[in-house]
Amino acid sequence: MSLRTYIAKRLLHAVLIAWGVMTAAFFLMRLGPNSPADKYIASLGAGHNVTAVVAAIESRYGIDKPLHEQYFNYIASLLQGDWGWSFGTSMPVMELIKTHWIYSFQLVLLSSIFAIVLGISLGMFTAVKKNSRADHIAAFFSFAGISIPHFWLGIMLILIFSVKFGWFKTYYDTSLPMLSLENLHALTLPVFTLGTGMVAGYSRYVRSAMLENMGKDFVRTARAKGLPERTVIGKHVFRNAMLPVITIIMLDMSGIVFGGAYITEVIFGIPGLGWMSLKAVFADDYSVVMAVTLIGAFVTLLFNLLADIAYIYLDPRIRYE
Amino acid sequence: MRLAAYYWERTKRQRPAMAGLAFIIFLIILAVSGPFFTVSPTQVNFDEKNIPPPGFTLEQSIYNASSGGFVTTVQRGTWEHPLGTDGMGRDMLAMLISGARVSLLVGLLATGIAIIIGALIGITSAYFGGAMDSVLMRATDIFMTFPFLLLLILIVYLFGSSLTLIIMAIGLTGWTGTARLVRSETLSLRTREFIMASKALGASHLRIIFYHLLPNTLSSIIVLATLSIPGAILAEAALSFIGLGDPQVASWGNILNAGQGSLQTAWWVAVEPGMMLFFTVLAFNFMGEGMREAFEPGGD
Amino acid sequence: MDSENGDKAILSVSGLRTYFFTKNGTVKAVDDISFDLRKGEILCIVGESGSGKTVTALSLLRLIEPPGRIVEGKIMFEEKNLLDIPISEMQKIRGNRIAMIFQDPHSSLNPVLTIGEQITEAMTAHRNLAKSEAKAQTIELLRLVEIPEPERRFHEYPHQFSGGMKQRVMVAMALACEPSVLIADEPTTALDLTIQAQILDLFMELRKKFSMSIIYITHDLGVVSELADRIAVMYGGRIMEKGRRDDVLKNPLHPYTRGLIDCLLSESEKLASIPGTIPNLIDLPEGCIFHPRCISAMDICRTERPGSSKIETEHYVYCFRYGGR
Repeated sequence: MSLRTYIAKRLLHAVLIAWGVMTAAFFLMRLGPNSPADKYIASLGAGHNVTAVVAAIESRYGIDKPLHEQYFNYIASLLQGDWGWSFGTSMPVMELIKTHWIYSFQLVLLSSIFAIVLGISLGMFTAVKKNSRADHIAAFFSFAGISIPHFWLGIMLILIFSVKFGWFKTYYDTSLPMLSLENLHALTLPVFTLGTGMVAGYSRYVRSAMLENMGKDFVRTARAKGLPERTVIGKHVFRNAMLPVITIIMLDMSGIVFGGAYITEVIFGIPGLGWMSLKAVFADDYSVVMAVTLIGAFVTLLFNLLADIAYIYLDPRIRYE
Repeated sequence: MRLAAYYWERTKRQRPAMAGLAFIIFLIILAVSGPFFTVSPTQVNFDEKNIPPPGFTLEQSIYNASSGGFVTTVQRGTWEHPLGTDGMGRDMLAMLISGARVSLLVGLLATGIAIIIGALIGITSAYFGGAMDSVLMRATDIFMTFPFLLLLILIVYLFGSSLTLIIMAIGLTGWTGTARLVRSETLSLRTREFIMASKALGASHLRIIFYHLLPNTLSSIIVLATLSIPGAILAEAALSFIGLGDPQVASWGNILNAGQGSLQTAWWVAVEPGMMLFFTVLAFNFMGEGMREAFEPGGD
Repeated sequence: MDSENGDKAILSVSGLRTYFFTKNGTVKAVDDISFDLRKGEILCIVGESGSGKTVTALSLLRLIEPPGRIVEGKIMFEEKNLLDIPISEMQKIRGNRIAMIFQDPHSSLNPVLTIGEQITEAMTAHRNLAKSEAKAQTIELLRLVEIPEPERRFHEYPHQFSGGMKQRVMVAMALACEPSVLIADEPTTALDLTIQAQILDLFMELRKKFSMSIIYITHDLGVVSELADRIAVMYGGRIMEKGRRDDVLKNPLHPYTRGLIDCLLSESEKLASIPGTIPNLIDLPEGCIFHPRCISAMDICRTERPGSSKIETEHYVYCFRYGGR
């Protein structure tokens, strides 16, 4: 299979899955016991012209049309970037997303950098020092890091560093300019909250991938050439170990990062997509909840695709097949 | 049975796994016997609110109606409430034990549902192959694309948040990993001699699936199940923590949610349920990891 | 230097012991061996698999990894005992003064680096070279080992090369710094028969071009008879017999060497004329390690370990039948 056919196949697969995701979302919506109108009206309370509102909502959602027509309209509007209307904030969902995504993005980006740098270094260190005291201690902490509920970790960090020591605010300050040291300071605890589990996971992947490659024959060849140990490990072993690790890290983006970021935003009051979605849940703002779920699925899909493609570019054995 | 005894022997040698098992057994005993020695976890008593655990003190200002001002009193922990009380005077120990019951229920039932669905889908997919395999695996891909927690939140939002529904939802969304694992294990088994032989002897599909294929994938399924339990427990806790849990029951996530609001005063309300959650997840992880090592062929 | 004759030895090994400390016991993979390598000669170390040949080779470069350890001995090279110098100094010798070629070229090359990179790296590790200069020299080396289109292949990855071509790359890599000693550990075993012959020819040619001393490790007596100047026969981690090629091949003394040569002549696959199998290196037999399989074992062979007996100027045998005390 040539490289181009492979990528084309992956792309086709991704399109198929994206269609599946949208279809699943549509049917989940229709399967739900409440129509979006009911939920919204329940939240309005008395004193409104209920029938008019219902009619407006239903025609907005196209609920008065036959099912297949609704389905096509739904997918068509999603593709055109019309993701529905947020009743809670009285603006299109797309506008809402445009103002909030950056907060999620900065949190996820900083946490990923933190986790990748620390996870890889820790993984390499423990692989080189295999079975040493340091390795055992690191293994214990990575196990703890994987097991600690990050929402609890976040609260404990607030309790210790914000409440007791007063080093940080207990809530994220949105008035800070995004590219400033103050903002970075404000994001310290959130990044640590989201990043700890990731560091623990990544360091374990890296360690086992390093160990697997350290026993390979080409490592002995590298040593026999007289290369210093730093080069043997840092170049020959590392480059091979990174192949599976990069894929795993990219695939991990969905589960750990989305769930984690959602809750981290809630704990620290960071107005990202997760925080926005939860607010919408309580405000019965249906379209927003659905939109955030869909975004999560689409970003996951994108990362899966990137992982596939990255792998073929990183591994010469596949690249030149 | 002999195989089970063999695996047990090998698992027994893993010390962290045994510590984990001991903790889980302790938790189960606590969860079952709790109602017999604790007060009701929902019993509210504002006279006894925010009592710290014994050995700690808390200064709080209480509005005194007779003098019309705030009086600072020092609240001391008592052995009557060994883990203190929350902001509504509920006994923390009783609530934590109730939470243990919830978490264990969620962990075991939701994982059970997920494993059954996953095993059935995986085995059907691999055994019949062809179009069936394509359809089921694409469906699995679609499911896997939704971030787990986000999908859960959506489901709970759409269908309500009773504990039963939460358990169902976690089970119904968490089967993808099992499906993939069982599928790949079955694929490698499908062409083995003993399966071919029973096919040649005219065994029915169901017989082959339930007598030959499933038992042979069981050890991997058990390990995966053990390692999935923490995920289910954490999912419920996360839902409860952000306020989407079942408001009728005291679960660790609910308590933690309340605890976040009173960090400035009653720190133990947030610390204690998190600790329980942490140790429980750690225990299951230790056990699963130990089992994985013990079950690995030749991994001595 | 405690050379066994007048000629100057470039590498002199004495009393080398390399043990592996495993859970099941201590494996004495190399147990008290001594030999010299002289300037410009090819020394063949012959033995069955498991006789300790490879461990000997790896010990020379101190590439033994845990649970293995060099327990005792001396490896004299350029006035230094390689077992005494710090690892940083050892790294300056590896690949530079003493280079090594491994058995399996498929797994010995790094799959994610171009072969150009892997050869260049061997050069720049020891010599201060500009990048372009290193590249030019690498391409020259590739040409020397008869790899066609070296400019193009410089940028290719190992999986794009056939087995024989990969081994040529390994040879080029070993020659990168023009070492004075080359250790080749069964370099043709993993290759097809026709390719084996080509690689052997390459060795013969290179040997003429460079004045290298070569330790060639093999189980193939046919190769030995073509290549060797001198031979050391190993069995169970010990040397049984060593000497000039013709002395050993035409006048084998040790019962084990005789068995080896007999089965080469009878062209049978296995060592038909030697009953039994190679010993378990954990529970080594007392006395001479070969006595359980030896057709002419005596009482003393079961209790004591034979020393070396000098038969001719350079012909030594470790057997009580020729003295051995």
